[in-house]
Formats: sequence, structure tokens, C-alpha cells
Amino acid sequence: MEVSYDKESRKIVQAIERFARKHSLWVLAYGTGCGAIEVPPTMTSRYDAERFGIRGAATPRQADVLLITGYLSVKTLKRVIRTYEQMQDPKYVIGFGSCTINGGMYWDSYNTIKLLDMYIPVDVYINGCMPRPEAVISGFIELQKVIAEGKAEGARKYKENLDWYRANQQKIIHNWNMPDYNW
Amino acid sequence: MREKETTIYLGPQHPGITGNMMVKLKVTGDTIVSAETHVGYLHRAFEKLMEARTWLQCFPIVCRICVPEPDPNEENLSRVIEEIEGREVPERAKYIRVLVLELSRLATYLLWMGGQSGSMGLYTMPQWTVGDRDYILDLFEQLTGGRVYHMYIWPGGVRRDLPEGFGDKVLKVMDYLEKRLKDYDDLLFNNALFYKRAKGVGVIDKAKAQEWGVVGAPLRGCGIKHDVRIDEPYEVYDKLNFIVPTYEGGDVWARAMVRRQEFEQSISIVRQVIENMPGGDFYNKIPNPLNWRVPPGDAYVKTESARGEFGYYAVSDGSLKPRRVHARGPAYVHGVSLLERILQGANIADVSFIMNSLGTCPPEIER
Amino acid sequence: MEVKLQVENEILDKIKHTFHSAEVSIPRKQRVEVKLRNDLIHPFLAYLKDTLGFKHLSHISTVDWLEENEIELVYIVMNYDNLVEVIAKIRLDREKPEIPTLREFWPQIETYEREIHEMYGVNFLGHGNLTDFILEDWEGIPPMRRDFDTVKYAKETYFNRPGREDAQDVRTTITKKSGEEIPELAKVYSVRHLE
Repeated sequence: MEVSYDKESRKIVQAIERFARKHSLWVLAYGTGCGAIEVPPTMTSRYDAERFGIRGAATPRQADVLLITGYLSVKTLKRVIRTYEQMQDPKYVIGFGSCTINGGMYWDSYNTIKLLDMYIPVDVYINGCMPRPEAVISGFIELQKVIAEGKAEGARKYKENLDWYRANQQKIIHNWNMPDYNW
Repeated sequence: MREKETTIYLGPQHPGITGNMMVKLKVTGDTIVSAETHVGYLHRAFEKLMEARTWLQCFPIVCRICVPEPDPNEENLSRVIEEIEGREVPERAKYIRVLVLELSRLATYLLWMGGQSGSMGLYTMPQWTVGDRDYILDLFEQLTGGRVYHMYIWPGGVRRDLPEGFGDKVLKVMDYLEKRLKDYDDLLFNNALFYKRAKGVGVIDKAKAQEWGVVGAPLRGCGIKHDVRIDEPYEVYDKLNFIVPTYEGGDVWARAMVRRQEFEQSISIVRQVIENMPGGDFYNKIPNPLNWRVPPGDAYVKTESARGEFGYYAVSDGSLKPRRVHARGPAYVHGVSLLERILQGANIADVSFIMNSLGTCPPEIER
Repeated sequence: MEVKLQVENEILDKIKHTFHSAEVSIPRKQRVEVKLRNDLIHPFLAYLKDTLGFKHLSHISTVDWLEENEIELVYIVMNYDNLVEVIAKIRLDREKPEIPTLREFWPQIETYEREIHEMYGVNFLGHGNLTDFILEDWEGIPPMRRDFDTVKYAKETYFNRPGREDAQDVRTTITKKSGEEIPELAKVYSVRHLE
């Protein structure tokens, strides 16, 4: 149902929306790479990410944040794209580790992608190999800031430039047998 | 009513799966008829990359082969190079290596305890053990500079000497862990629910175990006493006193009991190492690492990691770079062919339970 | 100190007695190395497993000898009673590497053979399940072969972040950007400097 607001009240509604969104970030439990080893310490008693509203979610449809924990092999990229497309708005992507930024130490590997944001839109990158739990939490806080400012527009960017992303994705995934989602 | 056979894909995105892999299950009701593992989601072509790097540049790569437990990889690669080259390692370096390996074993067992109880819905345990594991990671951080990946063990010794007062800190953590072990006993190992859940689940046939390539705690859980630390003593394990626990049954419970006792043994080994730590050099210096040629030859060495026999086969052709380095992780057998076999007849709810007890580690399967 | 190699020598004698063409050596304690003719690997492993009690298959490895146009298969088996490992090596023709499967000896060999088939293109006759194991939809030559250029492939296939082209030595990029010189001391340790 679409409700039309005037400009002022729209601003207030948006502020409340963003406030709510940034304090309940449910992270999809998908350990795509070796960064997954620093997620349990982040989530458990010592660093306790739950105090920032960060929690694990079991399925893509319930999750808000897709944490790409490290390099993606071509085989995983295919699953990640599908997972990302299954997620519902609002959704954010965090690239975790140097290997998502520029290939990191796998710069010459034939099986890993070097630039994550050519395939799915990334809102925040956390650098390091591997990032410490403090860095992970600071990355999440950065994401919260971006959300509060209303700049976390990855999902919209993906929908608008779907053809460009698809072309990039299909350049390396040869056997494209995935369903199309109608958001 | 005849039950229909259904196919279920467990993973790669599934909270119970230990890492990024997939198990395709054929089930009737909730009993598994057949299982097929699909791996390769974490393939980074390490062995190919190593062929393009100098020997020393391989060290940041090998520690990433097994994420929960990187140190046996470094130790193995160092030792395989030392064996091809015939390089001597100072006594102190050997003791420090054993210290690092045992600390890493303790950290892995703590993570395993969390995973094992988390996969049956007991979420207090991971909160405790993963938090306690951080005490060991802090030790590693002081020693090596890294929490997870250390790159500490080098050919010819170790990269740095122990910092001042490190031994006392280690002993303090050991005292703490020993105290905590009582809590773990109360919550997990003496828990009737865990016993009922684990007894008779994921049974490995004792007669077939050796032939199927079972190693490490799962083999000792079948009542067969084998441990690389005893069979083929490396570093200074022949000078230390420890027992190799075994348990009959071959099921998840037996493996848990074996690991529980090994945890105590590791604490005792760490104490012995700190007590007997000799002085002297910690590093037999290698020449300029960028111009360092290892003489032609090949060797196979192995380590007892927390999950079983970890072997490295390396070939040198006398150039700056290795001709071939091949890692054999315990999960290569446990996580693929053995898992497929023992999942038959199991319950769907036990899949991740069994995977945890076998120590399946996908990055080590595909490297 | 002289190391006694009694068990190893016994095994060496037994192997030599049964397989006359095999080159057997003892590189060190608890290791026996055997170089075999291709067609003998099947009976040799059967002999080791059933007669000498080498029950545990530790490892199968592959080495690509591009210059000699051969692919070497290395089987490492262990005896749990006397704790000796036998390293058996055979060499296959690189153009058409073929060998009968050994999966009836150890069930886990299936996994090793699938991987070797995928990574080196070795054909295991009678295996029956040489499907994709690690890679998915791979086209072209098997990637672990030495003539496959992974840097070239990665550059052609994937997008690279600008500034990472000369990843061989990151310091040159840094000096170019900052305008500083590499100190003489550090140049000694540069890869380029050596080549």
C-alpha cells in the first residue's frame, strides 16, 4: 500500500525507518571464505556484536546483511548471486577482507574473483587479512552510519543496473541456469 | 503408507554446515538413504600459486589451507623443506614449535566443543568456549603478531624468540582452562542429553576404519591407538610424557571422549614444554630468502593435527620455487568419502552433528 | 650414531624379491621409496596391502614433469604395525596419461582419482565417476598442468582493480605514487633485482 506524505512528514518517517534498520542488522550465516573464522568470536561473549543489534539469520529471506567473508571462487559466486537475489529489501553487502577488494593474496589465482563490486553492489568494505573482530564491528558501525545517512543504496543500484551486473556475472559463469527473481 | 524419497540440499548456505560445502541427501521420512558431498566452493588453487612463488613466499599461503588450525601447515612445510635440504633446527626452536602446535590444538578443540554443542542446540557452550579460545589467540598475538594466521614457524626454526614473561602467561591460561574444563564437563561431557544424543550416532566400523583412511580422534574413538606424535615422533615429542587416549564405540560420543582427554594431555604437554624450555638459538638462519635454492629431492612428512594426520608431500627441482607442494588434510578423507558412508541411515538432524565430530574442514579438502 | 633400519631393509628385500624391475631405496628411517613400471602399480599395491599389511593409504600426489613430458603419480601407503611408509612412484606419458583405477583397494581412492583427473587430466580407466569434483564448468586444459598460465588466465577473465597491475612488486607502485626512492638496503631484497 502506497501512502503519500508531504515532504516534511516523509523526512520524519524516513528517519524512523533508518533508525530502526540500522539497529537491527541480521547477518546471513553464510561463511563464503576463511573470514568465517572471525565471525564466531565477533558474535560470542568476548566481542558480543549483539549489543549493536547484529545477529545471525538462518535463511536469505530473513536476513538484511550479506557478509562476504573473503574471496569468492566462481562456483561460490554463483550461489552468492542467487542468495543475494533471494534476500528481501532492505539489504546490504559487506565485503570482508582484502581479497574481496582487489584479490588480495589470490591476485593470480584462476578460480577467485578479484573485484567483488563488479558482480554485486557492496556498501562497506572491511580490509585486512584477516580483519580482527574489532575491525568487523567497526565495519558494521560504518554500515550503520551509511544507513543513517541514507546512502546505502546498493540494492537499488543493483535493480537499476541489472543488465550491467548480469553481463559481468555471465562473463565468468558459463552455465547460467538460475531463476529470475521478480522483486 | 509408502514413504517417498526426497532430495534435500544441505548447504552451501546453511548454518549447520561446517564451512562452505554442500551435502546432497536422499531421504525417506527423516532417515538418510544416501548422501553425496559437493565440495570445491573454497578452491583457491593454492598448490598452483605455490608453484609460482619462492619457497618462503609459500608460508603465508599454507597457513590459509586450514582456517581453524593453521599451525600444523606451517610446521609441515618447514619440516618438509628441512628434510629435503638437510637443515638442522635448534633445540629451542623445536620446543617453541611444540608449544605453538599444542596451543593451536587447544584452540581447535575449544572451537570444536562450541561447534559440537551448537549443532545440537546447546548455545551456551559456544559462548563459553569461543570466548575462552580468545585467551589462546591473545597469546598467539603476543607471540606472532597475528590472531588467526601466524606465519611464525619457518624453515630453520621460528621467526621470533619468546617475549619476556611469556611462559608465565601461558601457564596462567593453562590454569584457567583447567579450571574451566570442570564447567565444560558439567555442561557438555557429563550431560545426559549429550550422551543420549551422541551414543550410537555416526558409527565407524572398527574393522574397516584403517582401510577407509580414518585418522586422528575418529580412529582413536574406534579403540585403535595411533597417533603420529608416537608413531613417528617429530620435533621433541619423544622427550615429552603424554598418553594417547582411546575409547571404544566409534561413535560421536567416543570421539568426544577422546578429544576431552586429549585436551587435558595438551595442557600437560604445554606445561612440560614451558618447564623444559632450553636456552640458545631459536633460528638456524637461511640465506637470502629470495635467492634461496632448495636442492632437488622430495619428501613426505606428517603431523598430528587436532583432526588427524596432516601430511605434506613436496618436490624440489633445485630452482627458487617449489615444483610441487601437496597437502593431505584429514578432512580430505573424513569430509568426503567417509562422511558419505557413515551418513547412510542417519537422521537428518544429525548431519551437522556428525560433520562436526569428524572435524570436516572444507578449505582443506579443496585447498 | 648409526640408525638401524632393520624393518626397512626387510621390506626392501621382500619388494626386490617379488618385483625385480623395481628400483627400491631407503631415503630415511620409516620410509621406503619404490620406482615402478606403470603396469606394475596394480599388483604392487595389492601385494603391499594384502601380503605385507600396508593397510593405510596416506596420500596420492601428482607431479607434472613438463620438460620430460611425463606425469608422475606418487602413492604413499603406511603399515600400522611397523609404522613404515612406502612411497611408490610411477610415470605416465603426458600426452595420453591413462591408468586403470585402483578404487577397489581403498574406497577413498575415488576422491583422489577424481581430483587428479580434474586437475591433471589423467584418465583412470574403469573409474565410472570422473565428474566435476572441485571446479565447475571448466573449459580448457586442466589447471594444475604446468603449461597452464594462471596469471594470464586471471588477467583475461577477471576484472582487476586499477593500480594492482604490477603486483609483482608493490613497492614500485608505492614509490611511483609517493615520489620516494627505494633505499639501497631494501633493493637487495627485491625480486626484480635478482632477475
